[in-house]
Amino acid sequence: MSAFVIEAGERHIRDVNSDIQSAVAEGQEVVVTNTLSRHNLGIGLPAGANVRFEGSVGYYCGGLNDGATIEVERNAGWGLAEGMASGHVTVGGYAGMSAGAAMTGGTIHVKGDAGPRCGVAMKGGNIIVEGKIGYQSGFMAHSGKIIALGGAGSSCADALWEGEVWVAGEVESLGVDVVVVEPSAEDVAEVDLILEPLGLKDTSRNWRKMISGQRLWYFESRDANAWLMI
Amino acid sequence: MCGIAGRILASPGRVGRELVELMDAQEHRGADSTGFAIYGVPRDTGYILRGMGFDKSRLDEEMAQFRDILKEHGSDYLEEPVFVTDHNPHYCVRMVIKDPRDVAGWIFDADKLAGHFEVQSCGRSLEIIKDVGGSVDVADKHGVRDMIGTHGLGHARLATESSVLPNASHPFWARPFSDVAIVHNGQITDYFTWRERLMRKGYRFLTENDSELIAVWVSDQIKQGLTMEEALKKSIPSIDGVFTYMIARPEGIGFAKDRFAMKPLVVIEQDGELAAATEEQAVRRVFPGECDVINYDGPSLTGIWTVGNRRMAA
Repeated sequence: MSAFVIEAGERHIRDVNSDIQSAVAEGQEVVVTNTLSRHNLGIGLPAGANVRFEGSVGYYCGGLNDGATIEVERNAGWGLAEGMASGHVTVGGYAGMSAGAAMTGGTIHVKGDAGPRCGVAMKGGNIIVEGKIGYQSGFMAHSGKIIALGGAGSSCADALWEGEVWVAGEVESLGVDVVVVEPSAEDVAEVDLILEPLGLKDTSRNWRKMISGQRLWYFESRDANAWLMI
Repeated sequence: MCGIAGRILASPGRVGRELVELMDAQEHRGADSTGFAIYGVPRDTGYILRGMGFDKSRLDEEMAQFRDILKEHGSDYLEEPVFVTDHNPHYCVRMVIKDPRDVAGWIFDADKLAGHFEVQSCGRSLEIIKDVGGSVDVADKHGVRDMIGTHGLGHARLATESSVLPNASHPFWARPFSDVAIVHNGQITDYFTWRERLMRKGYRFLTENDSELIAVWVSDQIKQGLTMEEALKKSIPSIDGVFTYMIARPEGIGFAKDRFAMKPLVVIEQDGELAAATEEQAVRRVFPGECDVINYDGPSLTGIWTVGNRRMAA
């Protein structure tokens, strides 16, 4: 079955999204062309949907994803798949600021680098970045895993809750209340299981697993000076 | 939330038209006011002035006073003032003046009229056009699309720190440094403190807008001997708040981003030309084909882009 083609261009984004929803409701695969880095493409797509965006998309692409398989050919702007519940989002190039913000489930796979605050406040699911994750990635992540294969920027895993940040490669600096732990063989096997279907499993990696130091969990205002970053 | 843009052409061209496109694509980021800073082909002598009076019924009287002050400083009109008015009480004016003996001394005196009439840009090539309303309205009213130049800045404002007033729109001129303009996306939290410090050094601020500070702050650092690059870098730990700002001079455009990477900046550079904006979809209006996009998403970034083979002077 050949894919159903929808052109974004300068059309109203609500009309573009409405066309996408109608096509996937009929069980068609969708290709969106002439995307021109526009915002809010493919919001709230249902399970079973299969949508590919040619070129680059703007902010919040794949937001509130409810089980769809979404592919972005080149780059994605800020807030990729924000609030995603389930599904699989692949970006061929770079993902901008706050990819996977507040997601609760599903998988984001970025083939290039990801911008600052990747996985901010995520509450579930996995983010796999083949390149480097930006400044303050994993900020206040409550749950889920961020896995970076090409290093991390400064203030990595800042103020983590129960999320985990796994980095192969250089970490410029750690954020507040982060501890780097030696992962157990079971931990690594679990990460490999996430990477394997993406063709990214490599047993020779030297992982740095970052988790919360748990001191910020019991924050006391009298300790504020200890946390003051500015 | 505001939207900012910068554009550099390889040779003088329709930079006005393209800046209007860049701002139209970002109008959803703030449409209460729009402004443009356009660098035309530099004059050898004489300054282009752009200004605004707040009560058009006083126009003749204020222009007479303004001209008297010009003459006191050895200047006068080289090109007669051209006025733009509409249903709003304020009026806008463009003129070309003969070099005053000392620009800073003249603008100090001219600013005695500032409650009624203010000079909003002064330069050999810089012209700042600003007004209330969206990009298309402001462009239509002031003929921005027909303006020819090498580079420029654009700004769409969503007022957060001060009132919506025609003179509180960006870009801001770095009073009294000729040919320096700025656009800013963000909020400066210690602007009042910095303003006080700079005012004690003799600088003047005509609005309550926090961004007006940045242009003067950077120019003052350069006056003290820093290079543009050093001044941009120093602004990051010195000025508190969130910002991505662009500062333009006849040689090109520089930018700086705050320590927390709060505000975006997206750039496409191709064949000696450049478009920079808050949103990628805006720069794609100028470069619609697929091309390499640089996302300056990280914290504490600075950069300088020069026009053609010009060099950013210290």
